[in-house]
Amino acid sequence: MDTFLTYTALGLVVGAIYAIAASGLVLTYTTSGIFNFAHGAQAMIGAFTFYQARVVWELPTWLALVVVLGVLGPGMGWLLHTLIMRRLRDTEIVTRVVVTVAVLLGLVSLSQWVWNPQEGRVPPMLFGADSTVDLLGVTLRYHQVLCVVIAAAIAVALWWLFNRTRIGVLMRAAVDDPELLKLSGHDPDRISASAWMIGSTLAVLAGVLVTPVMGGTLEANALTLLVVDAFAAALFGRLRSIPLTFVGAVVLGLGSTYLVGYAPAEWTWVGNFQRALPMVVLFVVLLLLPHERLRGTATRSRERYQTPPLPRAALWAVACVIGLVAFGGLISEARVGTLLVGLSFAVIALSVVLLTGYAGELNLAPLGFAAVATLVAYHVGSDATAADPRLSLTGLVAGVAVAAITGALVALPALRLRGLYLALATLAFSGIVSAMLLRDTTPRTLFGHTFVIFPNGNILMPPLEVGPLDLADATTFLWVLSTLFATLGLGVVALRNSSYGRRLAAMKDSPAAAAMLGQRLMVLKLGVFALSTGIAGLGGIFMSMAVVSVSAETFGFTVSLSLVMLTVVCGIGYVSGALVAGLIAGAGITSLQLVLGDIALTHPEYRDTFDIVHHLLLVATALVGIGVANGPSGFLHDVFERQRGLARVPFVRWGGAAVQVALLLAAYAGLLGPALLLFVSVVLWSLLPAVATAWAPDRARPLPLELEGITTPNTLALRQRIDRELRIETEAGHARA
Amino acid sequence: MTGHPPALELVGAHAAYGDIEVLHGVDLRVPAGAVVALLGPNGAGKSTTMKVLNGQVPLTAGRLRLAGRDVTGISAVAAADLGVCTIPEGRGVFANLTVRENLLVSAGRRATLTQMEEAAYARFPRLGDRRNQLAGSMSGGEQQMLALSRALGTHPSVLLLDELSMGLAPMVVTEMYAVVAGLAAEGITVLLAEQFARIVLPFADTAVLMVNGRVVRTGAPADLEEALSTTYLGG
Ligand SMILES: Nc1ncnc2c1ncn2[C@@H]1O[C@H](COP(=O)(O)OP(=O)(O)OP(=O)(O)O)[C@@H](O)[C@H]1O
Ligand SMILES: [Mg+2]
Repeated sequence: MDTFLTYTALGLVVGAIYAIAASGLVLTYTTSGIFNFAHGAQAMIGAFTFYQARVVWELPTWLALVVVLGVLGPGMGWLLHTLIMRRLRDTEIVTRVVVTVAVLLGLVSLSQWVWNPQEGRVPPMLFGADSTVDLLGVTLRYHQVLCVVIAAAIAVALWWLFNRTRIGVLMRAAVDDPELLKLSGHDPDRISASAWMIGSTLAVLAGVLVTPVMGGTLEANALTLLVVDAFAAALFGRLRSIPLTFVGAVVLGLGSTYLVGYAPAEWTWVGNFQRALPMVVLFVVLLLLPHERLRGTATRSRERYQTPPLPRAALWAVACVIGLVAFGGLISEARVGTLLVGLSFAVIALSVVLLTGYAGELNLAPLGFAAVATLVAYHVGSDATAADPRLSLTGLVAGVAVAAITGALVALPALRLRGLYLALATLAFSGIVSAMLLRDTTPRTLFGHTFVIFPNGNILMPPLEVGPLDLADATTFLWVLSTLFATLGLGVVALRNSSYGRRLAAMKDSPAAAAMLGQRLMVLKLGVFALSTGIAGLGGIFMSMAVVSVSAETFGFTVSLSLVMLTVVCGIGYVSGALVAGLIAGAGITSLQLVLGDIALTHPEYRDTFDIVHHLLLVATALVGIGVANGPSGFLHDVFERQRGLARVPFVRWGGAAVQVALLLAAYAGLLGPALLLFVSVVLWSLLPAVATAWAPDRARPLPLELEGITTPNTLALRQRIDRELRIETEAGHARA
Repeated sequence: MTGHPPALELVGAHAAYGDIEVLHGVDLRVPAGAVVALLGPNGAGKSTTMKVLNGQVPLTAGRLRLAGRDVTGISAVAAADLGVCTIPEGRGVFANLTVRENLLVSAGRRATLTQMEEAAYARFPRLGDRRNQLAGSMSGGEQQMLALSRALGTHPSVLLLDELSMGLAPMVVTEMYAVVAGLAAEGITVLLAEQFARIVLPFADTAVLMVNGRVVRTGAPADLEEALSTTYLGG
């Protein structure tokens, strides 16, 4: 009985922490319509700052609390709202998700810069660890009791705020229709700002309370993820109801302590399962959520993409393969390995383009599916006992097939979910994969086979061998992988231009209208989900072969989130967006760090400077993600807009291409190194539109389609072009064909 | 000319959405206490004119005056504070708030919730029965009543109504316009945009006809009826 009471009390304390974290999340979601992935990172910053104030600066506890809860919390909320969240109006969910994810990544790298992660920091309990109280024979520390009391107080206060105060009603009105709120004489910006200030203070409060309860030292990533676990609690209340959120938090807290306390000893997987528990609960809650009504009204969003016609895409595909292989010939074999990792990331990013860019569904964890594919391919397609093992085609196919099927299975029950809920389901899935599969290092017996799912937490992925193609050779690998990417990219463009692609676009724009037109949304969604996770799996297997030695971290959820973020930054509606994002995520950042590391080795006196540059680089990546709020179509979209003017000045365009080839030849002749080549090429193509404008000012300036024919003569050729761009099949068009 | 300046005045107003100009020099005077009908075909720029008057869309050229004061460049919040009350096109309610909460929001700084509730439920008893229902789950007519209630308790100086009749049954339209007539009788200046001129002709003192972002005629409502039918029929 005593142990039962102890477990219950401890479970309630843990639940209280979840409740505090989740209530802040619910508050910002109901009052701004933005699901704040960075909530955990804000809690983490709060925890570190409290430590800094209390332990390093030795301020009295009350003063440290004032600094953290009175200044840092509201200040951070106000800054976030004013600088970032305010700009997210009229954007699609993926943009909102990516921006808050970028804030998360930025805050984590910022904290690791300020607080060296190598030092251990043990945060103090409020009232100290020695002040205890006995309740029904259970000894609890003041700090633990305080957590429960605060959670209860917050529950009451938030309920009162939402239902009984004017500001609470105004906050909800601000999400509903900010324009209408203005017409009533209220400034929606000021109202949302106060909501963010309260939400951020709740996050910081959770951060201060949590580590002493969970034990251990302050750790940026762990703290950030802990609040991700609170998502499950928030989902209990559909991100709206505070009381249900608290129920969810208590279920989670009790569940995890009872699991530790009462699971039989022979269940070796319980440790992993306990880690995965919040994600499992999140997944189950998502499945049981009541039906969401289809959204009928079209929302005006600011994202715009154009898909190229197939012949042009084919031209680019060939240019892409030639360019990649030519560049691969210039760099050392070790660097080719990095390039290969980048290209496999590009394949994974392609799955995001198909799913999110074209179909408007979200998968935040493509690498979770990559992990599944890798594991299956490894177990099916390679012989670990061989001296020089190779991966068989069967393994590759099996891996891709299982990834596709898993994708469909994850999506199947989640099909009626849309947007954010589906995104969270994929996140939960990847959490379960990394906690249950990628940590499972004990032997298991299945169908009479005994094997270890993830031996030693690390597997060496053998290269693929199909007939004469042996990917152990880096050049062959590069050929195969760039051809694979180009082919898949072309296929994706062809798919978008087909009637299937138009159905996907219709589903993205208005599911209700698409359903009314007799489209089977289920089949459509399931198909595109399976296709996209299959591609992610394929990319994942190639990535594992390129990395060679993979561990759980390779497929971590921050890696997934960074990749999705970069794809959106580059342009999630474009195949080229996937290419650039993959190269940056898989190769760009690594290469820059390698280069910096080399210089730091040869010039030890600059070490500190390079250390700063290294951190700046990480923070800058996040800042770029935050910039998406301003240009949600991605930066490649702007590049294409500018390059479009070039088409009217062919002389400059072909001149540019000639200079590019000349540069490549010069590089082969050893006149300039690969890094310089890249740099000069980028400069060349960004300057070309300016050259074209100078050359032929009236022709090079692209005109918005809406103004064609209004400020310029309305000719037959123009009307045909508009029909073509809008893909309207007219009689004139048929006559031409 | 009386000594009173017009309640609303636009002089040579130009406005644009992005690169595309929609109002090409609109001149409009709404005398204090008058009911003016703004008529015109789809896309003429009636709603845009309304949005210019309440500060939602900025002017790119020209001037805006409220009661003789030059307020060009005013924000929507400030205009609402000056007593410009807008019932926008479509549903002018917060769908995820209850009827009471809607009234609480629209009370703004000019009235208390109790005043708002009294005024609204007295005029539209159906709203009183549904005070705790989500506004989004009410019928279109009930939502429009709720939207119009905003003008009832707050004593605005100017009331802008954009297509009050949109999607409503004729009986409800009549009921709504009876309320508007009541407000006008209290001395509130009203500017209303309508597609269907006949509905508003009995109330309006003056009618203004807009076509393609310009005011093409101003006159007594009856005189404009004829011009109107030729405009609609593509004359
Ligand atoms: N948000 C917007 N973005 C771009 N163009 C717009 C926007 N709103 C209106 N327009 C354009 O401005 C022009 C005038 O629109 P407005 O809504 O003012 O017309 P209206 O007279 O109210 O028409 P209706 O009777 O159909 O309501 C139209 O050509 C319309 O396409
Ligand atoms: Mg209109």
